[in-house]
Amino acid sequence: MVVPAERVIGEEGLRATPAGLRLAMRLPWYRSLPFSTVAVASVVIDGEPVDLTDVRVEFDDHSWSLAELAEATNVFWFIRDSAFLVMPQACAEPGSEHSVTLTLNVAPPYIPGMIRTNPETATLTVA
Amino acid sequence: MTVANGPQLGVTLYSFTNEWLTRQFDLDTLMHEVARRGLGPNIEIIGFQSFKEFPDVSDRFAGTFKDLVAATGLNPVSLAINSDRFLRPGQQPIDDATLVEYHKRQLRSAKKLGFSLVRYQFALPVHLLPEIAPYAEDLGIRMGVEVHAPMWAGHPAVLAYREMYDKLQSPVLGWIPDFGGTATAIPPSLLDAARAAGAKESLIELVKEIWPEPGMSHEKAGKLREIALKAGHDPRHIQAVNLAFFILSNNDPKSWAELVDRTIHIHGKFYGVNEAGVEEAIPYDTILPLFRDGGFTGTIVSEWEGHAYCEADAFEQVRRHQAMCRRILADEPVAA
Repeated sequence: MVVPAERVIGEEGLRATPAGLRLAMRLPWYRSLPFSTVAVASVVIDGEPVDLTDVRVEFDDHSWSLAELAEATNVFWFIRDSAFLVMPQACAEPGSEHSVTLTLNVAPPYIPGMIRTNPETATLTVA
Repeated sequence: MTVANGPQLGVTLYSFTNEWLTRQFDLDTLMHEVARRGLGPNIEIIGFQSFKEFPDVSDRFAGTFKDLVAATGLNPVSLAINSDRFLRPGQQPIDDATLVEYHKRQLRSAKKLGFSLVRYQFALPVHLLPEIAPYAEDLGIRMGVEVHAPMWAGHPAVLAYREMYDKLQSPVLGWIPDFGGTATAIPPSLLDAARAAGAKESLIELVKEIWPEPGMSHEKAGKLREIALKAGHDPRHIQAVNLAFFILSNNDPKSWAELVDRTIHIHGKFYGVNEAGVEEAIPYDTILPLFRDGGFTGTIVSEWEGHAYCEADAFEQVRRHQAMCRRILADEPVAA
């Protein structure tokens, strides 16, 4: 059983967009954290790892590459809000169903020595 | 009913983390629910949990919050702030000037929102206190450093802070004991949750064996991880049991007596109060009288942390915890 503070797949699920598949993500912690303390470790769709080279992470007005995400020390992922992973290397038909495994790593900035790995698998229908 | 001039009870909204994260309540409806159930009026809020604008809240939001406080009749006693030193994992901490300013931003927000004190953390290096304390004095807000597991009254970090507190003699600096530092055992509910997730009994035995050893939390967690991985345990089960090292340690509960005089607020940490009114991991019968008889008249906020591994009813847990505290503070024996 995954408690709420371990969940990484967001309620908004998976959506097909012109820029690629868009996956909702939740921060697996109990308080907001700077985006630089979070890493997208992997995405696997139907057993196939997704190439994360060109992905973007979107939140409010922001859009980052993974390299830019690691530098985002002064933007906070509000614990109640979803961020979105846009994957140009992944596409799927609206209405199709897929098994999605997302893994986020979190290093809380006030607890030296702690890195948490949070995988979650869900079957999602593409909007 | 608590004694008018003894320790007061309250609740930290952190207890309702599951309800918050699942969006069952927003700030407005959660505060109304806490008030409706009589779990207030004293509350603590974690700035980074409940306020999207944190660490820099706007005048507009502060106004909204104050209206909410007035509407619910709650009393915002404590705002929990954080010492976010390691903004890039694995790299050097941020520089002192940035960390000092980070604290000042949060202190300003706390004052603006109407809180009486802040909970700050030992992750703030003690040599920066001489810069921050005068700022809090000027603002007119108190600062309590949370003595959280693995720390206790005799821990070197606490002793270093005590020396600095003696040196500064500031009217705004104090302690916030968190009773998780003086637990008698790893909560059975935490171990049961690990078992339910598939953790083998040998892993449970391993964490019970390592938990009472001396050492820093992440060192013990690293030690368990190394042994457990070699023994073939699932990393997710290892992560589940390793939580115990970061939230609990088994120091002597009577040691709190040394900190009573500068205690300004208390985190009544707990994991599960049963129907007989007894908490499963922390000896409240030993601890609460120390503060009551030592003259503490501030607030003990009920802090249920079982949400980290289970989805029990937080409101019921807090109700039971407050009933237990009332019983002990009034010196009533446990019902047979």
